[in-house]
Amino acid sequence: MREFITGNQAVVRGALRAGCDYVAGYPITPASSILSDFVRAFAGELGIVVQTEDEIAAIGQCIGAAMAGARALTATSGPGLSLYSENIGLAQMGETPLVIVDCQRMGPATGGATATGDGDVIFARHVTAGGYPLPVLAATDAASAYRLTYEAFNIAERLRTPVIVLSSKDIALTRQTVDLDAISLPPRLARRAAADNGPYAPYAVDRPESSPAFAPIGGLRRVRFTGSIHDERGLLTIDRGKIERKLTHLRDKIAMNAGSLEDVDADLDGRARTLIVSYGVADGAARVAVRLLRRGGTRVSHVTLYSLWPMPVRALRDAVEPGVERIVVPELNIGLYADELRRVFPARPIESIQRYDGGLIAPRTIVDHVVRAESAKRTEAFQPC
Amino acid sequence: MNLLTTPRNDMCYCPGCSHGMVLERLAAAIGATGRRPEQVCLVSDIGCIGTADRYFECHTFHGLHGRSITYAEGIKRVRPEMTVVVLIGDGGCGIGTAHLVHAARRRAGIKVIVCNNFNFGMTGGQHSPTTPPAGHTSTTPDGAADYPFDICETVRVNGADFVARGSALDPSIGTLIGAALNAPGFALIDVWELCTAYYVPSNKLTPPRLVELSQRLNMPFGVLFDRTCGPKSLRAAEAAPAATPSHLPHDQAPPAESQAATADVVLSWPERTEICVAGSAGQHIRSAAGTIGKLAVAGGLFAAQQDDFPITVRRGHSLSNLIIATTPIEYAGLDRPGLVVLLSRDGLERLGGLAELPADCVVVAASELALPPAPARVLRFDAEPLARAVGRASVALSALAFGLVEKEWIDPAALRGAAHRWAGGEYKDADIRAVDAGTALSRGAVT
Ligand code: SF4
Ligand SMILES: [Mg+2]
Repeated sequence: MREFITGNQAVVRGALRAGCDYVAGYPITPASSILSDFVRAFAGELGIVVQTEDEIAAIGQCIGAAMAGARALTATSGPGLSLYSENIGLAQMGETPLVIVDCQRMGPATGGATATGDGDVIFARHVTAGGYPLPVLAATDAASAYRLTYEAFNIAERLRTPVIVLSSKDIALTRQTVDLDAISLPPRLARRAAADNGPYAPYAVDRPESSPAFAPIGGLRRVRFTGSIHDERGLLTIDRGKIERKLTHLRDKIAMNAGSLEDVDADLDGRARTLIVSYGVADGAARVAVRLLRRGGTRVSHVTLYSLWPMPVRALRDAVEPGVERIVVPELNIGLYADELRRVFPARPIESIQRYDGGLIAPRTIVDHVVRAESAKRTEAFQPC
Repeated sequence: MNLLTTPRNDMCYCPGCSHGMVLERLAAAIGATGRRPEQVCLVSDIGCIGTADRYFECHTFHGLHGRSITYAEGIKRVRPEMTVVVLIGDGGCGIGTAHLVHAARRRAGIKVIVCNNFNFGMTGGQHSPTTPPAGHTSTTPDGAADYPFDICETVRVNGADFVARGSALDPSIGTLIGAALNAPGFALIDVWELCTAYYVPSNKLTPPRLVELSQRLNMPFGVLFDRTCGPKSLRAAEAAPAATPSHLPHDQAPPAESQAATADVVLSWPERTEICVAGSAGQHIRSAAGTIGKLAVAGGLFAAQQDDFPITVRRGHSLSNLIIATTPIEYAGLDRPGLVVLLSRDGLERLGGLAELPADCVVVAASELALPPAPARVLRFDAEPLARAVGRASVALSALAFGLVEKEWIDPAALRGAAHRWAGGEYKDADIRAVDAGTALSRGAVT
């Protein structure tokens, strides 16, 4: 059944589908309707929803709730993500499954509350102190906001980690036509449960990339949670061997699972010389541009990134290998992801199409850019030497 | 059952520090409640007292400075049957004041033990929010000048259910802690302590001087408020804390969504149309576009609606870009609008004039609106009689319906039929009336 819903509504539906049962949040444009929709959705005591005094309390409550067994979500915009920062580190260190939705707005600070942007793509990756990775997904529209919110719960549960889902004003508050039932979703995953008996150490892992078995606070197994560096029992440690083991695990459980976190849509033409890489709000325009270019006889490949971090390097390499000469990256910021791609593909020109005034990049802008680049190349080739 | 695993002398605290003593009292008080270790969660944060979790044999949670209250509230809401105890310092009460106040207001069922030693011990004896006037600390060498934070009074006036204060060195402190643990709702006890490394030597503080300090600051010891035995005051209606919703199994069904029927009829429509409705806040611009979008989707078409409005929603411009197409819409921005509905100067100004519009575009504008030259075809409508007929809130929808019909994207009868069939929600009748009136306008339209 097709519906006409906003990206924020799609986030709520995806979370409910994923079994979300704890939401704490603080109102902020353009994320606020996620909180108020959960107030309605949980009205029959189907879950717990709290409007807190600030964003710090919102994420704090979610972390407490998640460690007591809940599937928790909190949603905000850039200013609120800034306030989440310290607690995201706590969730990393404590290995807390948690879904964080960032409905981005334009610019730093208060920025443009009702203007769109994709400026948090690097901030989301390095959102907390210490430098350890966490998965970041990016919705492109209402349908992907639904799917990715659902997926984020699975990733959070499987890897015992906070996961950030990026949306943006023009996804969050834009209404689109979607058929949620037609979107195929993998089975719902739950965190690996600890055995009911035998010795239990809340942070013990058999391999660096695997996640510790979970026992909830309030269950029969006594749990120690801590944000300080700890051993497998959750006790503070100054043993360098144990410290290294813990922090390597925090790195590897994301890095070594990067392959399974890759989420892209690759629309490749083996003979294309131009590859368009898009994500977030700019993706819709890129899709239209690809169609227009092909209709006009220009061969292009296109990759939509739904997972931004870890960077889906394998899928990108597959798209780049066959002879792509330029990578065009339209994005609603100052070229942030293009910069990151330059590090991974130093031999390829990365051409950045930027807009950061709260307006959209139009398909025509991308088409014009590619056509100009392709014809410049051709003229060059015909130049007598 | 004693939850404390470590004798006081083996704890990490400086000789004479009150922390160890308070932890012993706390463990004894929890023991006296008869609760088993797995029914208790001790939530701590930063400062010397924040290390206490390791000495307890129960669920423990060690988090960020001043945020222990937030984690505790999350745990308590999910596990209402647990005893959730917060161990926090005076510094934590400063950085986390907002949480303290609002957890009290929400009457969160957590029990907060404040280990208040008037300074930051762990970081080198700096002044804290509770440092008494003239108190010497490493950051107030000439004596503190600020008013001391009255934690008890702050939470008491903000909804706390149980509030007490006492000296760690007074044997009765155990009884007070026990009373806090057993109090329903939000309970807080402010335990005054000696930091023998910093505050005591700098201020010659002694146990008797703690009592004097309490008198001098007019911050008395004892139970300061207990809702269960207080007079049935104006707050009696709240005597029982609101029931916390219980945690549910994860396989709950999501609540059913209300939605119009699936399309058994597909509306006839050109391949792709772009519409801009531009007006002011309060003119129900977004609802008008949303209603038409919903009808289109119910009629088997695809719609996308992107809005533009300033942050104060009741003032300034309000624009809705609506795209309706027979195929999925990937880009929700406008490229070549075919219909512009103008309802106010604000809207016109936000559009930045009409000169850029394509020649085959139709502009539908309220008759009193002065328009700049436009290459497009301009249709006028009288807003006042329309407002009288359908209500001011429905003028935008009527004007939009008028435009859709004039543009010949849809037959007036088909549009009316769609509204009668698929309009829904709170404003169903008003929407149907507005569409009826708008389509009727098209016959009398002045070009
Ligand atoms: S520094 Fe002060 S509070 Fe900390 S352990 Fe020593 S005496 Fe106690
Ligand atoms: Mg202190």
